[in-house]
Amino acid sequence: MAAIMKISPFKWILIGASAFLSILIFIFPLFAAATYSFRGEAGKGRSLANYRWLLEQEGFYPNLFTSLKLAVLAGILSLILMVPTMVFLNLKAQRFKPLIDFLCILPLIIPVVSLAIGAQVAMPEFVQNSEYELVFFFVIIALPYTYRAIDTSLQTVQLKTLVEASRSLGASWLATILRVIVPAIRSGILGALFLSFALGIGEYTITSLLHWETFPTWTVVAAQQNILGAIAISVFSFIGAIALLTAVSLLSRRGTKQTSITSEGEGVLL
Amino acid sequence: MTIGTGRVSSTLELTGVSRFFGQVKALDGLDLKVNPGELVALLGPSGCGKTTALRIVAGLEYSTAGSLTVNGVRYNETPAHQRDMGMVFQSYSLFPNLNVTENIEYGLRARKMAARDRSKRVDEMLTLVELGNKAKAFPHQLSGGQQQRVALARALAIEPTVLLLDEPLSALDAQVRGQIREEIRRIQLELGITTLFVTHDQEEAMSIADRVGVMNHGRLVQIDTPLELYTNPASPFVASFVGLANKIPGEVVTNGTARILNQTVSLSSAAPSFAPGTRITSLIRPESMIVTPESDTEATRGLVAFKSFLGPLTKLGVSVEGMPLVHLNIASSDVKNIEIGQRISFRISATDVMAEHA
Repeated sequence: MAAIMKISPFKWILIGASAFLSILIFIFPLFAAATYSFRGEAGKGRSLANYRWLLEQEGFYPNLFTSLKLAVLAGILSLILMVPTMVFLNLKAQRFKPLIDFLCILPLIIPVVSLAIGAQVAMPEFVQNSEYELVFFFVIIALPYTYRAIDTSLQTVQLKTLVEASRSLGASWLATILRVIVPAIRSGILGALFLSFALGIGEYTITSLLHWETFPTWTVVAAQQNILGAIAISVFSFIGAIALLTAVSLLSRRGTKQTSITSEGEGVLL
Repeated sequence: MTIGTGRVSSTLELTGVSRFFGQVKALDGLDLKVNPGELVALLGPSGCGKTTALRIVAGLEYSTAGSLTVNGVRYNETPAHQRDMGMVFQSYSLFPNLNVTENIEYGLRARKMAARDRSKRVDEMLTLVELGNKAKAFPHQLSGGQQQRVALARALAIEPTVLLLDEPLSALDAQVRGQIREEIRRIQLELGITTLFVTHDQEEAMSIADRVGVMNHGRLVQIDTPLELYTNPASPFVASFVGLANKIPGEVVTNGTARILNQTVSLSSAAPSFAPGTRITSLIRPESMIVTPESDTEATRGLVAFKSFLGPLTKLGVSVEGMPLVHLNIASSDVKNIEIGQRISFRISATDVMAEHA
């Protein structure tokens, strides 16, 4: 309470201005969208009609399931590829890190059309003919983010010592990764998982270019039939994303409580 | 001698072990034998190759040449996780997500030991390091000293053939360091485990090791008991690296004698060979000097610049014209009447003096 009293009037003005801008830019549009999404028949009254319409659409569940499935697979594949690679890079091949840094930024630089067409022709035909080819694209577009999330986490732990301690105690590489490294970089892994999942579930451009149907491409088509339904879709997606983010954040925090080391400046902050 | 459930302590032997990093020779033909139940400390300045030697023994580094055996069995090609060697690292290397019990049983799980046996061994180890009340604590809830004791328990739990200690006390504060040092020695003697201990701190090495190996430029310069190492250094490097030594200029008179201060003294047989007239730097321990009466014609005279009481001994810093401050360690009972600023006479009492080229 005393700390609040000490805040100068200038700071109060800044806090007030920030709060006002946040309300104006973020909360007001969301509130407006939510209000619209609850409008009843012909835009009158309050009801869940638009959400009922959304859930009754033929393509809603299959496409949502497809997107969830592909996003989960993308998250898992990202981790399977990235965790051992990043551990190896940090332990044994530090000199290659600048190169890998650069390669991981490429998905942000290369135009999506080039990426989609270029990468697709490099894939075997049986992959090209399956919707699972999108998993590989999701992994690629999430690469700049997953790379950094895991790398930052690895920088905060004494990776070399932990690995050497584990190995000298008789643990195999697999056991070392699963029992020592993964728990130690849990927050980074959860972050990478969330990022690749979120990018995967919301990806539209590549999916559309390659003529696959997922939840984002379906919503574009569905939204053209019902404007208030389209708003309900937006609100639904937004709440889904917030719920997911909160879940990851809580999971990450629970892990931190149990495993963080901060004593004497030598520890590992998870 | 036996450890825990009965493993016989081992002989560790390195023969001609070398490790090159490109053109840099980190280790250059190291020969070292650690006898069963012995604690050998490798001591040397940074970059002398002591840690590389330890890491090669642990299997965390490979050797470019030479052989490594434990009880006569070649270990060069054995991967780290199959060597059965317990290692304690400089930095606290406890697994942050595991509590004390889980950390200690980590190696036992890797060996697929039954739960009941694991639990028994963990209890034994906790008793050994006197941390029975911290079994469920996480590493961040322990002090630095406690963390190193858990690391020691974890390394010993697997009943290693050899215990490897890589500067385990460096990260601890002075008081805890002394305490843990004594504890390591107590446990090592109790278990009779063959131990290789790497440190850059000579006090640490001299106080707990059966033998100390002094390393320089990737080579083992001398290995001996702490007393022998201190009193009979094999080279000027060992003399200056182990303990304190005054560096006093002098001149060789004949092969084997030199004029230092106002005296003619014998040179150590371990000193290099010098031609008469060669300018040398002698290395004389502070306790190898004595205060003498004014009447001593061979004595050197100087002004007492400082006087520091160390209990049974008192350290005097004597300023002599034309040379760095000379340090003398004199029995405190003999310096009662000496004050700062007073002119005193002193001389070298050592019979053999180590020297190097000036």
